[in-house]
Amino acid sequence: MTAATTAAMAAMVAELGEILSGWTGSNGDSSAASRLGDDSAFDRLAMRVHEAQRDANPTLRRYWELVEDQEPTTWAEVPPVPTSAFRDVAIVSGRAERVFRTSGTTGGSERRGEHHVASVALYRAAARPGYRRHLLGQVSSLRLVSLIPRPDRAPDSSLSAMAGFIAAEPEIVDSIWTLDADQGIDVAGVRRAAENGQPVLLLATAFSLVHLLDELGDEHAPLSRGSRLMETGGFKGRVSEVRRGDLYRRAGRSLDLDQSQIVNEYGMTELLSQAYDGVAGKAPPLADRCHRFPPWVRTSALDPATLAPLPNGEPGLLAHFDLANAASVCPILTEDLGCVLPGRGVRLLGRAPGAPPRGCSLPAERFLT
Amino acid sequence: MLRYPKSDLHLQRQIIGSLRHARRALTALSNADLVDILGSVGEGLLGGPNADTIELIAREADLSIQMTAAVLDGMAPSWSRDGLARLLASDLAAPRSLESFAEAGNRRIRALAPGVTLHFGAGSVPGLTATSMLRALLARSPVLVKPGAGDIVLTAIFARALHRADPRLADAVAVLYWPGGADGWLEWERRGLAAVDQVVVYGRNETIESIRSRTPATTRLVEHPDRLGVAIVDPAGDPDAASAAARAVALFDQRGCVSTHLILLLADAAGARAWCGELASQLAELGSTLPPGPTSSGELSRRHQLARAATVRIAAGGASGGTIGYWASRRARWAVIMGPIDAFAPVGGRTAWVVPAADIESCTSALAPFRRVLQTAGVAGVRSGGERLCEELAALGATRIAPLAQVPFPEPDWLHDGARPLGELIRWGEVRQHGRP
Repeated sequence: MTAATTAAMAAMVAELGEILSGWTGSNGDSSAASRLGDDSAFDRLAMRVHEAQRDANPTLRRYWELVEDQEPTTWAEVPPVPTSAFRDVAIVSGRAERVFRTSGTTGGSERRGEHHVASVALYRAAARPGYRRHLLGQVSSLRLVSLIPRPDRAPDSSLSAMAGFIAAEPEIVDSIWTLDADQGIDVAGVRRAAENGQPVLLLATAFSLVHLLDELGDEHAPLSRGSRLMETGGFKGRVSEVRRGDLYRRAGRSLDLDQSQIVNEYGMTELLSQAYDGVAGKAPPLADRCHRFPPWVRTSALDPATLAPLPNGEPGLLAHFDLANAASVCPILTEDLGCVLPGRGVRLLGRAPGAPPRGCSLPAERFLT
Repeated sequence: MLRYPKSDLHLQRQIIGSLRHARRALTALSNADLVDILGSVGEGLLGGPNADTIELIAREADLSIQMTAAVLDGMAPSWSRDGLARLLASDLAAPRSLESFAEAGNRRIRALAPGVTLHFGAGSVPGLTATSMLRALLARSPVLVKPGAGDIVLTAIFARALHRADPRLADAVAVLYWPGGADGWLEWERRGLAAVDQVVVYGRNETIESIRSRTPATTRLVEHPDRLGVAIVDPAGDPDAASAAARAVALFDQRGCVSTHLILLLADAAGARAWCGELASQLAELGSTLPPGPTSSGELSRRHQLARAATVRIAAGGASGGTIGYWASRRARWAVIMGPIDAFAPVGGRTAWVVPAADIESCTSALAPFRRVLQTAGVAGVRSGGERLCEELAALGATRIAPLAQVPFPEPDWLHDGARPLGELIRWGEVRQHGRP
């Protein structure tokens, strides 16, 4: 990486930080980020970022040369990098400020994916408009209750980092971190928060939420009016799969939350931007929901056999092109199934179902751990 | 839709009690009688299951009908009278010891399987469970069989045929499927593991570790974890090696413990590219004669993840395009990946990973990280240093070194996972006579 490419990438990161942080998602939003909702505007910027990545990162340059002979002309033609690659190779242009690690959904702790993030400021710029729009609207003050570990206790968790960003927002008057890796969930802390009278923003993974509800049992711990819940992540194979609808109903009963106050965040360590399936307080019934990324992300569903893009509405493997990943890699191939809806909504269909037991041949999973 | 009964501990006690009772009659059978009864049942089935049955087996195992027929054909010799007789003769120095005490030097020895065997099958390669069941019966152990979820139909057909063949076998075999490790079955499994005398388990490491943790120390446990099949090929020495390799990759849709995943090719990069193209053509041809079964989106996803992650690793290592390559069918029915050994992972779904190697030493050093999972090593075209290669492969842990063309179907008396198939089911007794040293 030459000084020139380093400088060019730094300039690109700075430019993107400016663009992304201006988005509000409101009807009257005329920010530069909002204009990325136009496909040609997005494509122009996407191809600039792609060229900068290619120039700055020899690994990506060689990868794209190896995978595709043709020069891409649109974001959708840039071969995506699989999430598995984050387990093996540090994909970053320049020096990483932080390294976020996956929780090891399939890989265990031995080979966790690592996202080397060159600019935490860009991560914040990408995350902030999304959580502000979807979690912090219609209220002047909130108490944060987090079932996600506090950032200083989980410095390699991108989710904890985002929870830290949220805790620093002006609307958050107080933060209670009720999950400790050693102690588990401080249920009494959640109860106290519920009794306080202040509206609460409860952050939880599906896994931690199940544990909280199990701990509460039949107990009713009503949160104050205006409270909302952000739930994220799957169950990571650690507890029995629970239907999201059942989980939300249980949470609604125990915490006195309307379903419209519960929103799901879709994010992953490998992406610096997130998608939400509703705005807290206005979220539609679960059956009518789909996830939406901010306008600097595009998603395609790919044919699982050929990785060819599928038309809107057809389910396939999801690939995302996230401009906030400028300093690592924008196009990411996930193992999630879903379909893209008209208007850029994404319907998530879960993890691509694994193979049934297949005999006595050594499975690949063993090599991923 | 798979249906199975509710866990019923009373039923379990009845089944195991009945099996235990049947042992006496089973033990009274001579080797010749037993080989004749079991072998004629095996031959009768191979004469063949009718088209409807093959379709049923295929559907259950998620294999194509053609592949299912080929798998059953290939397993036939192991189930025949000749195959079983060969297994007996090869496995035991004195097969008579299965009938009574036999003279063996300065002592008399007796081979006895320890009572009732509980067999846990794995996965969806039809016939695996039947083979294991035959071995237990040949060792005179009544067997309670839990087939793999994709191997229930053939196992049940086999058991019914045994029931019909001879009343003495009718009470010595029970086949019952249940969802292993499922909540409602844990107590059933715990009691079953405590009640039987021997347990044979095939499966994933987690399954085996779970069974191991619940099996009493006094119960014999025979474990067959997942294995890795590899090949060492010198294309200059065998012009048909690509054809044999394609078959070794494609048979069982690469689910068997013998299936080849990794091919170490004695060739330079250019030669390897040409050979990979040939292998791709052969896999494409097998795609029509032995079509693959359906592939789940999860398997396809994993294949893309691994293949592309390997490409990223190669790119990070500074490799040029000449040292890697990727050939695949349009609908992902097979794939050939040429790449470095450190990027290898067994992808499955008829994926051959080819690594060019300069010499035999490079091949064996490349295999060193897999020493704990190695099983079958197919060899083709290696003209010089063959004996040294065998020595090194065996030292690495390969338990079966065979011509590549013979890889898919082991001989009836093969040393399965490095053990004698009957020998591992037997407990020896000896009689020392007074006054003899």
